[in-house]
Amino acid sequence: MTMISGLMLWRLVVTCVYLPTELIGKWISDMINWGLDLLFHLPAYTVEFLALNSKPLLQVLILPGLAFVLVFAIIAVWFERKFLARAMLRVGPYYCGKKSGVLQVFADFLKLFMKEIIVPEGIDFLFFAAMPILVSTVPAMALILIPFDQNWVLWDIGSLSMPMFFAIAGLAPLIPIFAGWAANNKYTFIGAFRVAYMYISAEIPLVLCGAAVAIMAGSFDLLKIVEAQKSMWFAVPQFVGFVIFFLGVIIEAERTPFDIPVAEVELVLGWRTEYSGILFGFTMMAEYVLFQAWSLLFITLYLGGFNGPNIFGNITLSHIFWLLVKFVILVVLIILIRCVFPRLRLDQMLKLGWRYMTPLAVINLALVLVMKLGGIY
Amino acid sequence: MSEPEIKPDIMRMSWGPQHPMSGQTRILLDVDGEKVHRIIADLGFTHRGIEKTLENRTFFQGIIPIERMVMADTANIGLGYITAIEESLGIEVPERANWIRSLLCEMGRINSHLYAFGLQAEATGYFPAVFLWTTTDRTVLLKLFEELTGARWSYNFSLPGGVYKDLPEGFEAKVIEGVHYLRRRFEDYWTAMVENAVFEARCDNVAVLKPEDAIRLGATGPVLRGSGVALDVRKDEPYAAYADLDFDVITEPACDVMARTKVRFKEIGQSLRIMEQIANEVPGGPVRTRVPLIPRSKPGEVLSRVETARGEMDVHMFTDGGSNPYRVKIGSPTLRNMYVFERLAELDEVLMADIPVVINSIDPWYLDSDR
Repeated sequence: MTMISGLMLWRLVVTCVYLPTELIGKWISDMINWGLDLLFHLPAYTVEFLALNSKPLLQVLILPGLAFVLVFAIIAVWFERKFLARAMLRVGPYYCGKKSGVLQVFADFLKLFMKEIIVPEGIDFLFFAAMPILVSTVPAMALILIPFDQNWVLWDIGSLSMPMFFAIAGLAPLIPIFAGWAANNKYTFIGAFRVAYMYISAEIPLVLCGAAVAIMAGSFDLLKIVEAQKSMWFAVPQFVGFVIFFLGVIIEAERTPFDIPVAEVELVLGWRTEYSGILFGFTMMAEYVLFQAWSLLFITLYLGGFNGPNIFGNITLSHIFWLLVKFVILVVLIILIRCVFPRLRLDQMLKLGWRYMTPLAVINLALVLVMKLGGIY
Repeated sequence: MSEPEIKPDIMRMSWGPQHPMSGQTRILLDVDGEKVHRIIADLGFTHRGIEKTLENRTFFQGIIPIERMVMADTANIGLGYITAIEESLGIEVPERANWIRSLLCEMGRINSHLYAFGLQAEATGYFPAVFLWTTTDRTVLLKLFEELTGARWSYNFSLPGGVYKDLPEGFEAKVIEGVHYLRRRFEDYWTAMVENAVFEARCDNVAVLKPEDAIRLGATGPVLRGSGVALDVRKDEPYAAYADLDFDVITEPACDVMARTKVRFKEIGQSLRIMEQIANEVPGGPVRTRVPLIPRSKPGEVLSRVETARGEMDVHMFTDGGSNPYRVKIGSPTLRNMYVFERLAELDEVLMADIPVVINSIDPWYLDSDR
């Protein structure tokens, strides 16, 4: 009895100790084998990965992704400075980069990068510093929904794409509000509340206009909306919505005459006042990213999206080309507005939003319904 | 300055002196959201003791510090002091010198109003295009100043007993050329500012100052005339050559910020008209009478009034028989208009965003109000 029990005890000990050891040892040796395998075959795996995922990678890194956002911000800043300088009888940036001043943007970025980040006393630094980074990255997320061609959509979610765009872009105004609050300053505080007032009054007509477009196209899918505009751009039957959405793009991008939250003559720099160095750089970039996302949506909804004649022989390339051409024209137009208009006051802007844009957007929606039900369109 | 108490639920904001638009003063605003309940102007940041400095200078030496009061408008400011000296010492001025003084004053007035437009455009949030246009067009005047006086700014050209030098040869033709150029440019400014829909929205019916309030609070210059009160020292008590010149006193009935801007616009038109008249009809003769370099005054007091670009400036000079003034008291236009500005939030609803527009509508020059 004792012998048996002693043997059983021994077996128990062996099972409890040896077995896990063996398992762990096997796991470790597997890991080592796998690591060595990865090490020796890394180039082959990379090639295979790239071959399988080349298009999404290209999209993430180049077209609607990183390079497009950065290059647009750089060129837009340079162009805006040169162009507005002409309106002011000046020359603009001149010395950096062979008299065109194009390197000035890089120089400014480098300067912002080197500068000290001044932190106001008694604030939550992480929250304070996170906001400028979020404010430039969240609107960039909305870019993944924009179709550049039937085969060039980074995140094709079918009929959810337009609601998703409004959802992602609708997050953007929350961040300036938090940023203005986080900085614990009177100017940023008032600027933050101006953001809140302004976006609420602008986004309701924008969503109503988007709904009208969706009804006319018969789908919330941005791709189908673009396809529905092959014969005629929606800017023609929905001219009212077109004008409202155009104003909405300027409001969402906080550009003149609606740069009310950052009005420098009364609020120093609104919700951006306390940011310095690269954090300020991020807030500047946010303006252009928002501008980019909303203008691309505007083109997709009203100006025929990527539709255009096939001039390169390659249909995808031509589509991308036409979308970018429309985008550039829109950008120049919106920048031109900056040098001919002063800034509206907040109450005037709210009056515009609630008293004119929202009722007109409802009328636009009703007109589209009549057109759709009457079978005109 | 001891700060007045703040009511509950009101936020006090400091607008200046490090604020981008405030110039060199500090304005405290009691705001409830966007609405401004109270404006408190905290002046004195640029006090330089010019009045005291004048007591320690001879009459001639005093011309230099007094012109530092308003750099954009030195001809008018300097003339106020010089006419006081002339009254005190009993000096006669030749007619031609008076006409040249008027020419200089009107050019200075345009120069100053151009600066005011630029700032007004910037205050409404105009991207600095208009500011740079006005600055560029000011060079036309600055070149004329340079040719006439030798300096672009702060030309101590008017002296007791006349002006320093006669007009250079062919100067009249250049004045007329400049007048034509500026007339053409003012059509652009009128389109870019007064007829711009957004500018109109920002300035119409903002900070209404009724005529009775303007008189009660002691407004002066374009602020008073923008409220519809025709008061101009050039007409009421003509100095220099203004009695012989043909011009109108501009008034606007609207009483708001836009009215003050329009008054400045139209005053420039009148100034150009005066410049043209002077260039065509300036009489001949000497430009200066002989005055001893260190004149002795008689004991007494004199008061001289001039209409500067910002309004009426008074120089109240006491003399005790020495070579220096005993006391000079300067009533500066900006200080008078700052009292009006402080009350504007009580008289009419003023929003936070209106503050830069309203303060630039009185065209402040803080070196003038602080002296």
